Amino acid sequence: MMRNDPIKHVFIWPAVLVVLAISIFPLIYSLTTSFLSYRLIPPIPPRVVWLGNYATLLQEPRFWNAIYTTTLIAFIAVGLQYAIGFGVALALNARVPGERLFRVALLLPMLLAPVAVALVARMMFNPTMGPLNQFLSKFGLVNLPFLTNGHWALACIIAVEVWQWTPFVILMMLAGLQTLPEDVYEAAELENASAWQQFWGITFPMLLPISAAIVFIRLIESYKIMDTVFVMTGGGPGVDTETLTLFAYQEGFKKFNLGYTSALSFLFLIAITIIGVTYLALLRPHLEKRR
Amino acid sequence: MSGQGLTGLSPWSRRLVTVGVLVWCLITVFPLYWVVVTAFKTPPGVVGGPTYMPFIDFTPTLQPFIDLYQGIRGEFFHTFLNSTIVGLSAAAIATAIGAMAAYALVRFEFRVRLGAGLVFFLLALGGYLFFNATFGLTRPQALLLAFPIALIAAVAANRLPLPGPILGNEDILFWFVSQRMFPPIVTAFALYLLYSEIGRLGFQLIDSFVGLTLCYVAFSLPIVVWLMRDFFEAVPIEVEEAAMVDNVPSWRIFFGIVVPMSMNGLLATFMITLAFVWNEFLFALFLTNSRWQTLPILVAGQNSQRGDEWWAISAAALVAIVPMMIMAGLLSRMMRSGLLLGAIK
Repeated sequence: MMRNDPIKHVFIWPAVLVVLAISIFPLIYSLTTSFLSYRLIPPIPPRVVWLGNYATLLQEPRFWNAIYTTTLIAFIAVGLQYAIGFGVALALNARVPGERLFRVALLLPMLLAPVAVALVARMMFNPTMGPLNQFLSKFGLVNLPFLTNGHWALACIIAVEVWQWTPFVILMMLAGLQTLPEDVYEAAELENASAWQQFWGITFPMLLPISAAIVFIRLIESYKIMDTVFVMTGGGPGVDTETLTLFAYQEGFKKFNLGYTSALSFLFLIAITIIGVTYLALLRPHLEKRR
Repeated sequence: MSGQGLTGLSPWSRRLVTVGVLVWCLITVFPLYWVVVTAFKTPPGVVGGPTYMPFIDFTPTLQPFIDLYQGIRGEFFHTFLNSTIVGLSAAAIATAIGAMAAYALVRFEFRVRLGAGLVFFLLALGGYLFFNATFGLTRPQALLLAFPIALIAAVAANRLPLPGPILGNEDILFWFVSQRMFPPIVTAFALYLLYSEIGRLGFQLIDSFVGLTLCYVAFSLPIVVWLMRDFFEAVPIEVEEAAMVDNVPSWRIFFGIVVPMSMNGLLATFMITLAFVWNEFLFALFLTNSRWQTLPILVAGQNSQRGDEWWAISAAALVAIVPMMIMAGLLSRMMRSGLLLGAIK
């Protein structure tokens, strides 16, 4: 039942005002700035260039490189997170021995500061003092260039992302698994369906809506990746691991190229929106069919 | 497979699954073990190559923590205090006003015309450009002037029979949550510019408690509203209806009945928000420089500041991590499966 009482405005306005002020202000501000040629260093008075910033950006190879890198990290990392997370959640749900102990340990990484995690990763990947290289040297792989080679560095960043955020998938999938009705499985059992068949026939389709939501959240969040890369490689070697947010930071905070950075952040916003909408559109037929 | 375990699997695949989970658990725990151990090593103990067991491989020492406290590697104590103050106050404020908004969205009916929203946006944008161009006001002045005008106009416009769809509670909720989809760099950068221009008018927001907390409150509100809505929906409405029959005013129903009943949810939301703020890096990077610097910034700086002094870096990372480890323990105790269940639907 919905009530109607003037006091509702007192309840909702503080939150609305804060969010409006902190989100709409900057939005309008950077939207208008993105049409200007505006630098702080050297200080030149702003000049209207309309879509000039956007045109320059779209021709900038570094921008496309950042998009490519970010997309690569986001998709591979989220794919692995989902696969591993789903697997572990299934196992935990099936009452693997010692499952209670696992739960606490498995949740830890996602509550830790990404910068601290990245520092720990730097230690792990360190060529001389790190345990990982020592471990691998036993298999004849000596001094792998973990953070100094572009491809390796990307793989390391993805590994850290997977390490930190798989727990989120585990947590959510566990919650989802617990909503599944048992009688369906009993029926399947009577039909002599194998565990494999039960998974593809019942578990996976029934969890599809939750999976879609989880992957969506993780994808959007992964596109914002910055802290991990900032600490682990700083975007290097060269610009091999530079993500969109890091690129924007470099342009805006190191070069104080305000108009350009505003345009960049708007392109970023548009890209995220396109990815989000495409993802939902691709998935919609599947989701509706199941419901 | 809920409740029935791995009955469909052979004992062999059951063992395989257990080993798999064990391996993942090891992967999760080992890096954590590594920081803890490294933080108690002496410099030679680190440089000489990896060592694993305290007292066997190396002799543990507290020196890294003493260095940390004495401020050899930056104002750690001060920064820790900053993080705590900002984290606690931002989480408390966000939980309070977010919970109120969530309650309003659950129990009261809201109708916002899409037209009114458009009026707001256009007036804010147009007013800003107009004031800035014609009256020669500075950008923040123009924005601060355009904002209330647009807001009042939009509230007035909402009463007019404008054409176009009418948005309900679900849409308002979606609006809140969609704020989280924004790449934070858009907000962070613009906020930095805005804050620094407001600073030039004599009201310092950059590197200040108010500026940082305000930003974090706004940044956490979407999550708070989203989580709290589920908790409030779980409160049985009969209790509230009984109170209404007795003519208890709405605000007393909320503070006297609903809030105590959903204390668990409020606490969990508070802790999750605290974790977000505690770990947040990007906004702090843009909006602080020395006085209100938070832990993640200082920790990130450790890396470049003095080279690979891993014993000290581990101690620093540990300081940032340990409070959240304690919280993970507390949270997991509270976390009945039902707690997060509602959140994902």
